[in-house]
Amino acid sequence: MEFSGKVLIVDDEAHIRKYLSLIVKRLGNPVIVEAQNGEEALMLYETHTPDIVLLDVNMPGMDGIQALEKLREAHPKAVVMMLTSLAARNVVERCVELGAVNFLRKDTPKEAIAKIIADTIAAHVGK
Amino acid sequence: MTEHPTGNGPHRPSLAGRKILVVEDDRLNARIITSILKPEGFVTAEAHSAEKALELYSTFQPDLVLLDIVLPGMDGIEACRRIKRDLGGSSIPVIFITALNKPEDVVAGLTAGGVDYVVKPFQAKETLARIRTHMSLRVLMEQHIALIDDLSKANAAKNHFLGIAAHDLRNPLTSIRGLSEFLMEDTTGPLNDDQRAMLQSMHSATQVMLDLLNELLDISIIESGETHLDCVPCNLVDIVADAVALSSIQASKKDMRFDFKRGMLTQALMLDTRKFRQVIDNLLSNAIKFSPRGSTITVEVSEDTGHQNVSVRDQGRGIPKGEMGKLFQSFGRTSVRPTGGEKSTGLGLAICRKIVEAHGGKITANNLEEGGADFRVTFKTSHHGI
Repeated sequence: MEFSGKVLIVDDEAHIRKYLSLIVKRLGNPVIVEAQNGEEALMLYETHTPDIVLLDVNMPGMDGIQALEKLREAHPKAVVMMLTSLAARNVVERCVELGAVNFLRKDTPKEAIAKIIADTIAAHVGK
Repeated sequence: MTEHPTGNGPHRPSLAGRKILVVEDDRLNARIITSILKPEGFVTAEAHSAEKALELYSTFQPDLVLLDIVLPGMDGIEACRRIKRDLGGSSIPVIFITALNKPEDVVAGLTAGGVDYVVKPFQAKETLARIRTHMSLRVLMEQHIALIDDLSKANAAKNHFLGIAAHDLRNPLTSIRGLSEFLMEDTTGPLNDDQRAMLQSMHSATQVMLDLLNELLDISIIESGETHLDCVPCNLVDIVADAVALSSIQASKKDMRFDFKRGMLTQALMLDTRKFRQVIDNLLSNAIKFSPRGSTITVEVSEDTGHQNVSVRDQGRGIPKGEMGKLFQSFGRTSVRPTGGEKSTGLGLAICRKIVEAHGGKITANNLEEGGADFRVTFKTSHHGI
């Protein structure tokens, strides 16, 4: 896959953003934008209109679920994939309800993360 | 036993202030009993009929009842039954008062839920000794119930803490593992052998910690009672076959092979396949860990009347005598060490047991006569079959 779109990575932990952006970079030649909480993510979404958002669930301040709700309200076509470290059933259900297209556990091996992101882009971006 | 003046030996719980309901229609006898009990620090109330006693029971809330068998109207036996059955006094000791020449009363009283009896005319010392014994037991039981309650609260708090700790540690470790992989893949330029070896160490140490954290999370989630099972009908042979196929790669690294015996199964089981797979994966990886190079691991799925079983038999050293009890406990590592330097957290089998028991099944381990251990998971088909 040669992906050269825009990806917004939202996570409060800098090392996770770093790690995920390295994975995303291997998908081709993407533009990567990073945000560290929900508010920042909403702002950056307006200025950059990314093709896909990787959005952490647990963040201080506005968390991923609140951000997802606001984002999908303003942009019903926003493609959002949730990031978690422990996917509780009720959280997954809530996010799917709010229109998240996929779920990613951050401790998944990185080749598998790459594949999940690539598949999600192939299935949802530009559709 | 020597008589202690206060009746409270140094290791006995204090009985002062404990309440005794005396039920005796003969007012003189009632007064004699009260006069024996009062100096010992007991608080007493008297009832002269069973009806009156039942009325008094709820307001007085005694710790022990002394109950005459022969009473006008309702007798003591029936009063005892009602205290036990209707008044929430199932754990309240009831001691019957009986005449010396009525052994059949004693049997009837004990059958109705009484714990003991005293005979008229009263022997003060004997009566007191019996009362103290049963009151002490009652107090100890209360203390144990309170202790169990405290312990289970503490255990819940521990699990909560464990969950949070494991959760917060997992993200950084995920990054360290992933970033070290990027470096090893020469993402930032070629590495020399020393650099590569150091990164390899970092990477494997991180992986071990991640595995430990994941098992800690598993056990804390399972122990806090949040084991939610998503059961679907499935074929035991299929699940085990998948697990064996995947573990074969690991086994071949130690020149081991699996001998998989697929029994004929007549019915499907209701299982949470993801969780059950975790159990089988764990048993297989243990068998690989603890067996010598070049050995054979026998995996057998079978069915007998009312049960389906999975048995994993290795050719390792078996389970040391006296360590069988540790096996399924959290962190219950035995003295047997893995044969290829593999790591073990001591949580795997504890998790297996919780998962199997959540399914209503049983997991057991036995040593084989020919050497090695046999780990066996058994499910009832009557409960799980469809």
